[in-house]
Amino acid sequence: MHTPGTGTSFKPEEAYAAAAERFFELMKTFGMTAGMTTDWKALAAPLAAQFERWLQMSQGAVPWSGAAAGGTPGSLFGLGMPGAAAFGPLPVGPAAVQGAEMPRTFELLGRLGQLQGELAKHWSEIAATAAQRFIAKLGTAPTAPASPQQALKLYELWVSCAEEAYAHTVHRQDFARLQAELANTWAALIAEQRQQAETLVRSFGLPTRTEVDALYTQLKELRRQLAELGREPPASQVSATDMGSRDAEQERQHAAGKRSAAGMRSAVKRGAAGKRSAAPKRSTAGKRSARTRAGRPRR
Amino acid sequence: MTAAAAASGAALADLTLQIGETLTRLQAAREVSVGCSPKERVWSYGKTTLYRYLPLTVKRNSLPLLICFALVNRPYVLDLQPDRSLVRRLLEAGLDIYLIDWGDPEDADRHTDLEDYIEEHLGGSVRYVRTQCGGGPVNLLGVCQGGVLSLCYTALHQDAVANLVTLTTPVDFHTPENLLSKWVREMDTALIERCGNVPGELLNGLFLSLMPLRLAQQKYVRLLTSRPDRRAIEDFVRMEKWIFDSPPQNAAALAQFVRWFYQENRLVRDTLSIAGRRARLGEIRQPLLNLYALEDHIVPASASLALGEYIGSRDYTGCGIATGHIGMYVSRASGAQVPDRIASWLAERS
Repeated sequence: MHTPGTGTSFKPEEAYAAAAERFFELMKTFGMTAGMTTDWKALAAPLAAQFERWLQMSQGAVPWSGAAAGGTPGSLFGLGMPGAAAFGPLPVGPAAVQGAEMPRTFELLGRLGQLQGELAKHWSEIAATAAQRFIAKLGTAPTAPASPQQALKLYELWVSCAEEAYAHTVHRQDFARLQAELANTWAALIAEQRQQAETLVRSFGLPTRTEVDALYTQLKELRRQLAELGREPPASQVSATDMGSRDAEQERQHAAGKRSAAGMRSAVKRGAAGKRSAAPKRSTAGKRSARTRAGRPRR
Repeated sequence: MTAAAAASGAALADLTLQIGETLTRLQAAREVSVGCSPKERVWSYGKTTLYRYLPLTVKRNSLPLLICFALVNRPYVLDLQPDRSLVRRLLEAGLDIYLIDWGDPEDADRHTDLEDYIEEHLGGSVRYVRTQCGGGPVNLLGVCQGGVLSLCYTALHQDAVANLVTLTTPVDFHTPENLLSKWVREMDTALIERCGNVPGELLNGLFLSLMPLRLAQQKYVRLLTSRPDRRAIEDFVRMEKWIFDSPPQNAAALAQFVRWFYQENRLVRDTLSIAGRRARLGEIRQPLLNLYALEDHIVPASASLALGEYIGSRDYTGCGIATGHIGMYVSRASGAQVPDRIASWLAERS
């Protein structure tokens, strides 16, 4: 048996303790500790507030969500990735403060904050809906749970209502767009900051990310060529039968066509210029209807 | 104090004690081992390692089975512990099993793209296994994202694969239930690629946020009230370990995967090209067994089911199992069905 390395978030006892704490908090809200008949309708507001708080906190691993804004500026949750608070001028060097890119950075930071505000509105809406659903499903006012089993039953109902409310919102197109825009803005900020870092690094005569990328690209192409050469049998051993393999033939054609030195040089050039090719355009062939394939006999 | 309040207080006190015990057990189980069947490293390329599992019984299927797992998780979930191991059940059925482990990409691997993974890493593994088994085709089992890679590879290399099995594999990425697809549909993949490799924790965060209360809370609360013994705790911790043990993702490959499949849905739109060649589902003529989970929140059943509509094979079997995405690999329900189905389906075609 072996024990592979684990991710940094593997902390079951911490997660368990935190869940227990929240469970107790919830039970307290349900009146379990007081052992009294609860005014369930009055629970909606505190329940929603608790859930909203939890939703904001629980999004911590998704760096663009803004969950860190309240408590963990700089590095997000040990991911080694900058949070919104960390974006800004680089702290040292001649290009750090006066860079022409700074207005763009501030613009993106403003946009990120705005989007995180919109996300917070969604959490609020989800939490309120979840609480309302829960109260409605409880029906006639029950007494507070007296045993852990009763508490768990109530908890399961709460989870079910909360997940329904969550799913209702997060499947919507406006929410999906917001998620994408948050991710894009966050990525643009990182890219912007890296560009500033490159300016700084270049001013010290050090190799830049773009240059290193170009070398990686070149190395990758060389490795590919080497691997293909290694697979190719010596010319004397290639018989008509061997060549009959469509697979091998296609691989050779591909190798000859794609891996030309010219192609490699242009790849390196592209890398050095720090450009990325645009995504291929969708083909009209993609419009093939599923119906054309339906009804085919199967065994 | 009322009698009800006293009862509640006693119950809570008992629960608090129970929580303390469970916490101690969780701490003790932290170093629990995962992966149970002996295997040997037989080939490697870049960060990818190909393993061959040592046989547990007499070989009863002449063709080797190569397992291609997803890039986003570790493959040891298929061999988590002796009583939860798809690999072990298949070994017991007399199959000769190889497994691809993609390893841990580093920053230097950020340009490794899907073509590399399909042609060199998966392709290299297939070529190695073929040379070890007389040059004939192999049986290929693709799991989740690994199923997509396997479909692409099979479409491009018809004579290298005899039979194809896909497990929780998305094919149509635009079905209405696919929340992940909706969220990433308008992401700027070129921009995200420029940011470099994506940490595994970020993807985990995304997966957990698909159903946050159920995935990040409810399972712990259930543990609160179930009085788990040491073994149950160890089983729980093994799963946790796997869930949070996600490798970083190469920037280029991840960006392509999102763009080609989640955004452009190229498999079903028949617009996918890899290494300069069209990779068409309609070209796949091999017998194909498609196993999908009916309660899958990551790869909805509808996303997998679509394979039956687009595949070129006339020998297609689709089968839904009443479990979730991860349950498909480790649940008792799937453990009782999935290995037997795969082994018997392959045996009928050998």
